[in-house]
Amino acid sequence: MKNAKIPMIYTLCLLFVGLLLAAVPRSESGYAVGDTARDFKLKNVDGKMVSMADQKNAKGFIVTFTCNTCPYAVAYEDRIIALHNKYAPKGYPVIAINPNDVKASPKDSYSDMQQRAKDKKFPFAYVYDQTQEITKAYGATRTPHLYIVEKQKDGTFKVAYIGAIDDNYKDASKVEKKYAEAALDELITGKQIAQPTTKAIGCTIKWKQS
Amino acid sequence: MLGAAMLLASMAAPASAQSIKAIKFDGLQQLRNQPHDTLYVVNFWATWCKPCIKELPYFEAVTEKYKNQPVKVILVSMDAVEDLDTRVKNFVQKRNLKSKVVLLDEVDANAWIDKLEPKWSGAIPATMVFNNKRKQYEFVESELSAEQLNALILKYKP
Repeated sequence: MKNAKIPMIYTLCLLFVGLLLAAVPRSESGYAVGDTARDFKLKNVDGKMVSMADQKNAKGFIVTFTCNTCPYAVAYEDRIIALHNKYAPKGYPVIAINPNDVKASPKDSYSDMQQRAKDKKFPFAYVYDQTQEITKAYGATRTPHLYIVEKQKDGTFKVAYIGAIDDNYKDASKVEKKYAEAALDELITGKQIAQPTTKAIGCTIKWKQS
Repeated sequence: MLGAAMLLASMAAPASAQSIKAIKFDGLQQLRNQPHDTLYVVNFWATWCKPCIKELPYFEAVTEKYKNQPVKVILVSMDAVEDLDTRVKNFVQKRNLKSKVVLLDEVDANAWIDKLEPKWSGAIPATMVFNNKRKQYEFVESELSAEQLNALILKYKP
């Protein structure tokens, strides 16, 4: 009799957890710092598929959800390029992911991405999350939205930082706190990241209408 | 003298246009803490934000519909303060916005978002409704349809 009760409790627990999960809005789902980030296989502007696992020498990645159209994302383009140029040689290249649905945001089409990458001479991969599956898994809500992940010994990727690039979207010359760089420097030197999550205003991701 | 008078005259806004103030975070917090028995509907938007612009007419409709009731819409522009006198004012004038508009002049969202609403990731549009007297509060970080906005107002309107 006693044993028979246990599965019932489990069922109830699972049901309860399920209800809780269903009640959580999109902005609260996705990864937190410390979670394992899933890899992906997304099409780059050069036509090739990009996965984190492919880049054997990388120690991690600066996974950046960004797009062609958001003024905040555009304001940060040069700074994302600079981040890549500074940290790719240290093992942390940028992978930029465009999360926007092309119907909801026509200027974020794959061909517009190709054009933008060419115009700005992006030195990093700029891939398209057409199904928005990766964007949802990560829990990105806005552009730009950064996830710095660190490769583990077993080849998985652990989320080390989520948030903003710095404290001044308007004027790179007036930046006082380089949030992402501070996190990367701490990560690379094996220190604890003092500020592993930060926030910024950004454009909401243009979701596919279901 | 004449020059100064002309300058003053040109600075005075036409009677129909609202003057838009730039506020800092403490101004926003003051607004958030208004003690009145009024439903405040605070929408975060920007002139460059397409989904925000799409929902602005719904907020305008609320302002019109509840003009004699304790429901107050405030549109908080996240535009750069440098764009206030040009882009933002032109936009507000052109659309003849009747809801109160203020501009939040803060560049480091990380310094204030969590103090206002920890659940907010920073994406706009976002909307908060509150009536502090009745201890009511709800926050939505997404675009709203006219129906969703109306439902929110009906739920809390005093």
